[in-house]
Amino acid sequence: MMKEFTQRSALRMLERSDEKGLGRGNLGVLVARAGVGKTACLIHIAFDKIFQNGKVVHISLQDGPDKISAYYNVILSELMKAFRFKDDRETRSLMEKNRMILAYLNQSFELRRLRENLKNLSEKAGFKADTLVVDGLDFSKTGAETFEAFKTLAREYQVEIWFSALAHRHIAEVNERGIPYPCNSLDHFFNIILQLEPAAGSGIQIKLLKDHERPVTPEDALILDPSTFLTLV
Amino acid sequence: MVHDSRGLRNIGISAHIDAGKTTLTERILYYTQRIHKVHEVKGKDGVGATMDSMDLERERGITISSAATHCRWKGHRINIIDTPGHVDFTIEVERALRVLDGSVLVLCAVGGVQSQSFTVDRQMSRYKVPRLAFINKCDRVGANPGRVVDQLRQRLNHNAVLMQIPLGLEANLSGIIDLVSMKAVYFQGNYGEKVVTAEIPSHLIEEARAKREELLDAASMFSDELMEAIFEEKVTEALIEEAVRKGTLLRQLTPVFLGSAYKNQGVQLLLDGVTKYLPSPPEVENIALDLDHERAPVILSPDPAMPFVALAFKLEVTPYGQLTYLRLYQGSLRKGDDIYNTRNRKKIKVGRLVRMHANEMEDIQEAFAGDILALFGVDCFSGDTFTDGKANYAMTSMLVPDPVISLAVKPKDNKAGAQMAKALGRFVKEDPTFRSFVDPESGETIISGMGELHLEIYVERMRREFEAEVETGMPQVAYREAISQRADFNYTHKKQTGGAGQYGRVEGFMEPSETGLFEFVNQIKGGAIPTEYIPALEKGFQSCLEKGLVLGFPVLGTKVTIIDGQYHPVDSSELAFRQAAVGAFKHAYRNAKPVILEPIMKVSVECPSDFQGSVMGSISQRRGTIMSSAEDGVFTAIDAEVPLAEMFGYATTLRSLTQGKAEFTMEFSRYARVPEAIGEELKKKHAENTRGRKR
Repeated sequence: MMKEFTQRSALRMLERSDEKGLGRGNLGVLVARAGVGKTACLIHIAFDKIFQNGKVVHISLQDGPDKISAYYNVILSELMKAFRFKDDRETRSLMEKNRMILAYLNQSFELRRLRENLKNLSEKAGFKADTLVVDGLDFSKTGAETFEAFKTLAREYQVEIWFSALAHRHIAEVNERGIPYPCNSLDHFFNIILQLEPAAGSGIQIKLLKDHERPVTPEDALILDPSTFLTLV
Repeated sequence: MVHDSRGLRNIGISAHIDAGKTTLTERILYYTQRIHKVHEVKGKDGVGATMDSMDLERERGITISSAATHCRWKGHRINIIDTPGHVDFTIEVERALRVLDGSVLVLCAVGGVQSQSFTVDRQMSRYKVPRLAFINKCDRVGANPGRVVDQLRQRLNHNAVLMQIPLGLEANLSGIIDLVSMKAVYFQGNYGEKVVTAEIPSHLIEEARAKREELLDAASMFSDELMEAIFEEKVTEALIEEAVRKGTLLRQLTPVFLGSAYKNQGVQLLLDGVTKYLPSPPEVENIALDLDHERAPVILSPDPAMPFVALAFKLEVTPYGQLTYLRLYQGSLRKGDDIYNTRNRKKIKVGRLVRMHANEMEDIQEAFAGDILALFGVDCFSGDTFTDGKANYAMTSMLVPDPVISLAVKPKDNKAGAQMAKALGRFVKEDPTFRSFVDPESGETIISGMGELHLEIYVERMRREFEAEVETGMPQVAYREAISQRADFNYTHKKQTGGAGQYGRVEGFMEPSETGLFEFVNQIKGGAIPTEYIPALEKGFQSCLEKGLVLGFPVLGTKVTIIDGQYHPVDSSELAFRQAAVGAFKHAYRNAKPVILEPIMKVSVECPSDFQGSVMGSISQRRGTIMSSAEDGVFTAIDAEVPLAEMFGYATTLRSLTQGKAEFTMEFSRYARVPEAIGEELKKKHAENTRGRKR
């Protein structure tokens, strides 16, 4: 199943650049309006890493671990169904072994705490992250210095960090490089910027807006299945 | 006689240990005039709260055994089951939830949603119990009900909505503002028994209006009428209550009440909430299994005229004999009626029918569907179903987890031996998660249960209630065995010792079963083994699974398929084929590469965030896998999976690591293969013990 998943993951779209993906020390972001599937897409990115035996830390700034864990279980079940794969303990164990959920509830998120938590995970629990996914960070209230600090953290811990960013229907700002709100003034921090939008029918379109130094083209877009986030073939 | 159970509420009060549920229950009993004096848990008066009926509970300040009690409030009858807070006693909580129609989840205004709250909440969801939340201890330093509501939403995924806001907090808590009536409510008198309503103080009006808006927003999702009334500005109390009730019964809304039971604040309003928003028995669907029709589900009707169906959900020993708590689901029961236990078809005459109030009782003549009552002198097990003999129903069996820990107990003298046997017989009947047996090899009496504290309490009860002085051994983990690959067998059992001989041959294979249960498949064609011997073969294989050949622990998840065999017209018998199965199993088991499985516990630790690293380290050292960590303010909750074998003494370790500021709960999660090195060690130890016993 893992091989089939890797082949149909939207992340293959990112392999056209020299870096073949986001890359350690870099930040990536997924921009979408509410309800389009940011969290699900972030979890899909996490599975892409998990199935390649990478360690993922899922950082949630809104929901508790139970809800996030339930989300992972639902998406894994959908994937297994899509690939007609038997629901076995081994695959779930792989997910549990390679995934860690860190939740910061009631505005308790601080970079200082995250740094300490990552250190604890690595030193005390033997969990050395390869990828961080950060869900629920409010871009409209987050200053450039925070992303600067995330960039330092990514380099220091040699991890790649994926964020989700909430776009608003009523804010249509786009910068000269075609990057929409809320990333329009922060795009220099990100090596990859992806946009999710509802597509015609029931699918979801994922569009590459920035891919390192490589100029993106209109062909850098795919239609995804809304329940599995796999490319529709 | 027409009996109306719409005014009845069967509720449980569940919470994290120390959230104050016993104090809350005590106040409820006081305000409903079931008791006339208030005693505190660990009270200075040495009496203790009324619901903690066992001495031991009084001494430890915790509730071990659920005590049922009955009271009346504003024309409603309320049956309350006080449930224990410690996870080792969750069977008590599970039983209570099985028979209750609604529940109050008590949360501490300082501690908020704690680890045990998760367990209790999961259990409530499993039994589809609608609940109210009561944020207690609003008088304590650090009380923050708003934070607890956020936690209910974020950590337990409740659509929690405040029905009230406090009038002051911590030492300044002076009353409650009711957001439905928009009145301030004060509790006066020595124990807050005098409820006084007044206008909301001006400085709190804005806050109350804002919170009422939130309440209306949440409630209007369940009522178009309320939605309309909001637009037309014609909202009435009745419309809000009806919408909140609807949302609560659908389990899509959790109304949140506030107060401090200890300071006599808010309890009466909670009681109003129980009668207004929790369901009456006819509003809850209950299902029984029809044993005469392949256990087909039958929806029970709360109609008292229908055939009687009841569940024995709790047994208790009293100085007058065994007391059996029943929940009536259908029909009615009168003193002198004959009822039948569907497990053994035994007829029982109902002698005394009582309604319980902690450890006092009130004789009644009859009871109706929905009621909770107790019978005297009925010999049965907890979980048995009773009917009037017309219907052969079993109530859906309660989820009873297998014990994960065992302990050898040895009486100090002969007298203690007899008393211990008596005590164990009683405990086994009372508590399905507590088991006891004599190990045939060592001759030791082994007790097993759900955790160290669970067993400790029973050992203590043996001493106190039965005067049985016992010595205990080291706690032992309940390992399991399982085969990991297919293995073939072809075994002939042949015995000729004079007289009729024994002959049976069986051929087939065993493999791990996908279901995790024992499966037996008969693929024998052409009568190689006559059909009358097949059940004996199945029983023979099944008997082998009780004791694996690696460590002697039960074998999980084995599928046995028989494909061929042979019989002898004279020498074959059921016994011979049973022996053939045993021989075949022994022959194939080693080839099926058996592995040892150990219980893995879901462990939740709560600690100040500064100790996160040390706690994570302590879990890793115990072969644990950390699943998540959630920071909330200055506290962190760490969820992990840890082998039970590594958890002995963890309470002490955690205390010293965190200066006593952390706490943990654990519950059984699953069985998993032990690492090879540990497996080898266990085998070595087992071999040494076996040799020692032989010597």
